[in-house]
Amino acid sequence: MKKYSQKPGEISEFSDLPFWKKADGVDLAYVGYGLLIVTLVVASYLLGMFKLLPHDPEEISLELLMAPAGTPGYLLGTDFMGRDILTRLILGIQAYFLPGLLAIAIALLFGTLLGVLAGYRGGWVDTAITYFTNLVDSFPRMVLILLVVAAFKPDIYYIMLVVGITNVPVVASLIKGKIQFLRQKSFIEAAIALGLPTKTIIWKHILWHNCKALLIIQATIGMGEAILMETSLSYLGFGVQEPTPSWGNMVQAGSNYFMQGKFWPSTAPALAILFTILGFHLLGDGLNNILEGKRNK
Amino acid sequence: MKLASYRPIALVLARELLITGLLLFGVSLVVFTILYLAPGDPFSLLLEGQMPTEEARAGIREAMGVPKAWYAQYLSWLGHMLRGDFGTSVRTGLPVLAETLRVGFNTLVLTLGSMLVTLLIAVPIALYAAVRGTNWLSWPLTMLAYLVSALPVFWLGYIVLYVFMHKFGLFPLAFGFASSQKLSWLYFLLPVLVLGVGSGTISEVVRYLREEMGRVMEEDYIRTARAKGASVWRHAFKEGFLIPVTEIIAAKIPFILGGAVIVEQVFNWPGMGRMAWQAAQDRDFPVIMGIAILAAVFVRCGTLLQRVVYVAVNPRASKE
Repeated sequence: MKKYSQKPGEISEFSDLPFWKKADGVDLAYVGYGLLIVTLVVASYLLGMFKLLPHDPEEISLELLMAPAGTPGYLLGTDFMGRDILTRLILGIQAYFLPGLLAIAIALLFGTLLGVLAGYRGGWVDTAITYFTNLVDSFPRMVLILLVVAAFKPDIYYIMLVVGITNVPVVASLIKGKIQFLRQKSFIEAAIALGLPTKTIIWKHILWHNCKALLIIQATIGMGEAILMETSLSYLGFGVQEPTPSWGNMVQAGSNYFMQGKFWPSTAPALAILFTILGFHLLGDGLNNILEGKRNK
Repeated sequence: MKLASYRPIALVLARELLITGLLLFGVSLVVFTILYLAPGDPFSLLLEGQMPTEEARAGIREAMGVPKAWYAQYLSWLGHMLRGDFGTSVRTGLPVLAETLRVGFNTLVLTLGSMLVTLLIAVPIALYAAVRGTNWLSWPLTMLAYLVSALPVFWLGYIVLYVFMHKFGLFPLAFGFASSQKLSWLYFLLPVLVLGVGSGTISEVVRYLREEMGRVMEEDYIRTARAKGASVWRHAFKEGFLIPVTEIIAAKIPFILGGAVIVEQVFNWPGMGRMAWQAAQDRDFPVIMGIAILAAVFVRCGTLLQRVVYVAVNPRASKE
C-alpha cells in the first residue's frame, strides 16, 4: 500500500549541494548504521564462503556446553552441543544471503517491467497489471509459502521465489507512480518531442536517472524481508535443517533450553536477527528520506 | 446521513464486490495451478500403497470419476467448492470447510486483537511525532517502534512464555494458559499482545501515519481551521487519520495472518495458522487449499471494507 507522492520543484531538487549536506543528521545516522550492518553481513558471508572461521561449526566440545559469552576462545560462547556460536552465526548468513539476492532480483526485475508497462502504456495493460498485483496481494505471504512447501519441497530457493514474487506488486506500483509523475515533467516531454526512441527514454531518462534510488531502497527492504522469512521458516522447520546453521534454526534449537533459564544460545542469534533487520530497515528509510526527498519535519 | 449520500457507497460496494469476485476466481486458479504442478498429486499418493502399477492406477481413476484433463479437474473442484464442499482432510478425514471455519474464528480473534494492540501502540507515537516533529520524546519512541518491529516474534514469544511460567507459575496447555482460573483471561491476551507487538508492522504504521498526518497538517484547510480557532483535530481526522489507518490495516492483514502462523505455533493456539503448518508438514492438500482460499477471502474483505470507508469519507472517489 505504498503510494508514491512527490511535490514538484522542491528546493532539494535544484540545489547543487551534495546529498550529504542537504540531509538530516538523523537520516545520515540511519544510513551509516545500515551500511555498517551491510558491510558486516557481506564480510561475514565472504568469511563463511572461504571457510575462514574461528572454529569448526560442527565441532562438538562436551566440556563446554552452553558456555557464556566471553569464554576464552569462544567469543560468543557455545550452544547446547558445545559448538561455537560466533562461527555458526557467521555461517548462518550463507542460509539467506544468496536466496535473499534471488528474491530481490525477481522483485526488482519483474516489478520494474510491470511498473514501466503499467505507467508508460496505461490502458488495458495497466488494468491487467493492476489485476495481477491485487491477486498477488490477496495471499498472505506465509500461507502462500506453506502452500508451495506442501506442494513441492521445503527448499529455501522455492521459498525465496515466493518472497520475490510477492514483492513484485510493491516495486511495480512505486515505479508506476514514479513514471506517472515524471511524464508530466518537461524533460520527458522534450525527449518525446525530440523524437528519442521510447527505449532510450525509459532506460536512460526514467529508469537510470530517476528510479535508481527507488530500486536501491527496495533492494534494501527486500533483504530485510528475506532474512525475516528465512528465520521464520527455519523456526517452523521448513527452512535450513540442522546441523547446517541458520539464524532461525539456532533460535529454535536454543529455545528448547529456555525453560531451564539458559537464554544465551537462543538470544544470540535473535539479537543478530534484530540488529541486522533493523539495519536494513533504517538503511532503506534513511536512503528514502535523503534520495527521494521525503522529509519528516 | 441522507439517503442520497448512500448512493456512492452502494455504487462502490457493487463494483468492489465484482472485483473481489474476479480476484477470488484468480486466487482459486493460482492455488489449483500450484497443486496441479506439484509432483505426485494427493490422489496418487493415496493409491500408491494399494495399486502398485501405473495401469491399475489409471483404471481406478476412471472408475472413481477423477477426470483427467486439467480444466475438467479444475471445474469439478471449483464446482464443489462453490457448493461449500472443500473436500476432506487427508490426515483426519474431517470436512475441510467446517474444520477451517472452526479454527478460523480463533485466528480472526487473534488477528483483530493484535491489530488493535499494534494500533494502540503505533497511533499515539505517530500522531505525536507528526504534530511535534522529531524531538527528545518522539525520536526515542520511533526508535523503539523500529526496534520492536525487527524482533523475531517467536523469540519474543518464548521470553513471554518463560516469564509467565517462572514468575507467575502459569503453564501452557492446549489453549494458551489454563492452570489458574483467576488468570484465565491471559490465555487469550498473551498471544494477542505478542503478535501485536512483534508482528513487525508497528514501525510501518508509525511511518505511514506520521507521513500522512504530517502532510495533512500542512494543508491550507488546516491553516484556515487554526486561524478560525476551530478544532484542528476534527478537521484533520478524516484525511489525516481515518483514511491512512484503514488503508494500513487493510494492507497489513496478510502480514499479520502470516505472523499468526508463528505465534499460534509458539502458544499452541488452535487456529488456522497452526492448521496450515500441520497441513504443510503432512502434505494435506485439501486443508492447505482451503486455508489459502479462506485467507484470501479474509484479505479481500479487509480491502472491501477499506474501500467503503474511503468512499464514505470522500464520495468523489466513487467516480474514479
